[in-house]
Amino acid sequence: MAGVPAVRISIESACEKQVQEVGLDGSETYLQPLSMSQNLARLAQRIDFSQGSGSEEDEPGSAGRAWAEAGADQHEEEKFQPSLWPWDSVRNNLRSALTEMCVLYDVLSIVKDKKFMTLDPVVQDPPPAKQNPQFLQLISKKKSLAGAAQILLKGAERLSKSVAENQENKRQRDFNSELLRLRQHWKLRKVGDKILGDLSYRSAGSLFLHHGTFEVIKNTDIDLDKKIPEDYCPLDVQIPSDLEGSAYIKVSIQKQAPDIGDLGTVNLFKRPMPKSKPGTPHWQTKLETAQNVLLCKEIFAQLSREAVQIKSQIPHIVVKNQIISQPFPGLQLSISLCHSSNDKKSQKSASEKQNPEDHLYVLEHNLHQLIRECHKQTLSSTVMPHPASAPFGHKRMRLAGPQAFDKNEISSLQSNEGLLEKIIKQAKHIFLRRRTARTIDSLASRIEDPQIQAHWSNINDVYESSVKVLITSQGYEQICKSIQLQLNIGVEQIRVVHRDGRVITLSHQEQELQDFLLSQMSQHQVHAVQQLAKVMGWHVLSFSNHVGLGPVESIGNASAITVASPNGDYAISVRNGPESGSKVMVQFPRSQCKDLPKGDVLQDNKWNHLRGPFKEVQWNKMEGRNFVYKMELLMAALTPC
Amino acid sequence: MLPSLKHIKVQLKVLLLFISGQTGKLMYVMHNSEYPLSCFALFENGPCLIADANFDTLMVKLKGFFQNAKANKIESRGTRYQYCDFLVKVGTVTMGPSARGISVEVEYCPCVIANDCWNLLMEFMQSFMGSHTPGIPSVFGTKHDSIYSPADTMVQYMELFNKIRKQQQVPVAGIR
Repeated sequence: MAGVPAVRISIESACEKQVQEVGLDGSETYLQPLSMSQNLARLAQRIDFSQGSGSEEDEPGSAGRAWAEAGADQHEEEKFQPSLWPWDSVRNNLRSALTEMCVLYDVLSIVKDKKFMTLDPVVQDPPPAKQNPQFLQLISKKKSLAGAAQILLKGAERLSKSVAENQENKRQRDFNSELLRLRQHWKLRKVGDKILGDLSYRSAGSLFLHHGTFEVIKNTDIDLDKKIPEDYCPLDVQIPSDLEGSAYIKVSIQKQAPDIGDLGTVNLFKRPMPKSKPGTPHWQTKLETAQNVLLCKEIFAQLSREAVQIKSQIPHIVVKNQIISQPFPGLQLSISLCHSSNDKKSQKSASEKQNPEDHLYVLEHNLHQLIRECHKQTLSSTVMPHPASAPFGHKRMRLAGPQAFDKNEISSLQSNEGLLEKIIKQAKHIFLRRRTARTIDSLASRIEDPQIQAHWSNINDVYESSVKVLITSQGYEQICKSIQLQLNIGVEQIRVVHRDGRVITLSHQEQELQDFLLSQMSQHQVHAVQQLAKVMGWHVLSFSNHVGLGPVESIGNASAITVASPNGDYAISVRNGPESGSKVMVQFPRSQCKDLPKGDVLQDNKWNHLRGPFKEVQWNKMEGRNFVYKMELLMAALTPC
Repeated sequence: MLPSLKHIKVQLKVLLLFISGQTGKLMYVMHNSEYPLSCFALFENGPCLIADANFDTLMVKLKGFFQNAKANKIESRGTRYQYCDFLVKVGTVTMGPSARGISVEVEYCPCVIANDCWNLLMEFMQSFMGSHTPGIPSVFGTKHDSIYSPADTMVQYMELFNKIRKQQQVPVAGIR
């Protein structure tokens, strides 16, 4: 601040005189400002004597106003003349005010004398006679209450009228609001003056060539005078005629029909329509049923197309609404489209006796799922988006050329199995599984010793199931558990994995499985003897799963075991075959046999302690509820304590 | 021995490639039905290209750069046998209407390194070919332990076809 040079500030007053004229030489002539008296005159001119400050009342004010108006008229005339003197108006106003006051004074003085003028009051109405105040109050209250009641009643009437109107509207259910509800579920579009909708699966990926359009029409056939019915709907849908009624796909497996000319009989029965949810409007159920009919038609069209095109060993037969194929010899799989319309005529004929157990609901459900998967395939990300120059198919297929894929790799990429093949495979598996279960169960019920148990796995595939089969003897489950089989039931084969590691593949023939199980049961008996010997302290002398001696079995092989008692005196020999049953022989020491031929070879007596000839045991007369129990008793009897 | 597939053919088209300024090199375009979607293009001692089947149409468009050599098409057509892990393909080599020889291809599928299974292959071949068993192919000369690729098969076929082509008209069975 100290080093900054001082700044010159000049001050000038702002009140300049007004310029009257500017001369040619630039000099200005100023207007002389008004002197004090001139200023005062100017201000006085502004005073309006007609308007008084504070409360100005009637007569003097109006008189003043009249005078002011008269004065204004005079002034208007004088406007043409220049104002003579600034105080002119002021003087005139004052003079007129003086005149007024004088007149008033004179009038008042004359009136005061009461000789020539008097002041007389105006006659007024007499006040009403004073009544009883309570009665008055009652009447006044009554009146006021009546007025209030009237207003309230009017309002209430208006409200009730509007409520009644609303209810009427609700029941009528505006067409537009119903259309809005319809739009929430289905796709609609307007064509001309018609409203059309789409109930096909095309937007979900289907390639079926059915238009699937329905029309929305206004329901105008209502008589407003009569009572509106409960289920009235202002909207109605018209579905295409070929989608009317209801349909389902019937899949069944039967024994082969002997006469092929018997085909063509349309075997439909009217399945009771599933009950729709109580809140759904009738057009929803109608449209859903029509959509289901369309889907069933698409499934059947796809299946019949594949049945005709795909070459298989046994050709499939497509007749009317049925597709017949042979999964196994002697067996027939028929897939039929049952479409029943809602006419009265067909309902009469629907009383055919049908076998509901015949119908495989699982396969019908799977068909629906498979066709939906096909739909999704056309919309999947491997298909869209894709380069314009590439063919449709899996993206990996584009690498097939440059990386020299061979046929195995190519076929693993392409899913070339059609709907029909898949469903036939599934049917085969279901049939094989059922038959295996039946075989095992029949064996279990027929044969009591040994017992056969089956533990089915909960987790299955559409093409594979598994079951664990245990062959045990009752009471000896902990000792004799050497036969445990794991059966993997596939589409056409059954694979058996034995506990000792052997893997055997059985075909679909029922007899093979039965024979195998029987042979395993007979082997179990001999295994059980072996395990029992360990427990009882007997020694196993020989053991063979497949003996080559004795009569030839037609199913499997016989097995045999020989065990010796702890002190060596006795020996038990068992031979068990699936067909020949069990044969038990006991070897006694020579000293106990009476009918031995005496010869010269054996001189010493010590040879008499060896075991000698065999004797057969009458096994069916033995006590004991099963083989192992009998064997235990036998062993116990032959073991001296 | 189960014949699993029929009509296996290995086709060879010989093209003469002109590279401007240099002498023309021979380029072989081959198709193998074992790899149905692929096309192989190889030079004599040079690289082998494995391409998509559209390679043929590409070659048509490159007409300005090459011309077809004479006697250009050789084919080996026959049956394919699958015996457990072995693949045996026996075919007749034809050039035009005339048959020129027999080709036998033996493949051991599980192994990808040639050196490891050459002895096994030789033993297998001796069982049915006897004295005609060939020696180790020259493809494995340099790379003993590298992974076998389909290109090696095609190189061997090319050598075989060249050998057959250079023979005289009297057909002498040239087996590799």
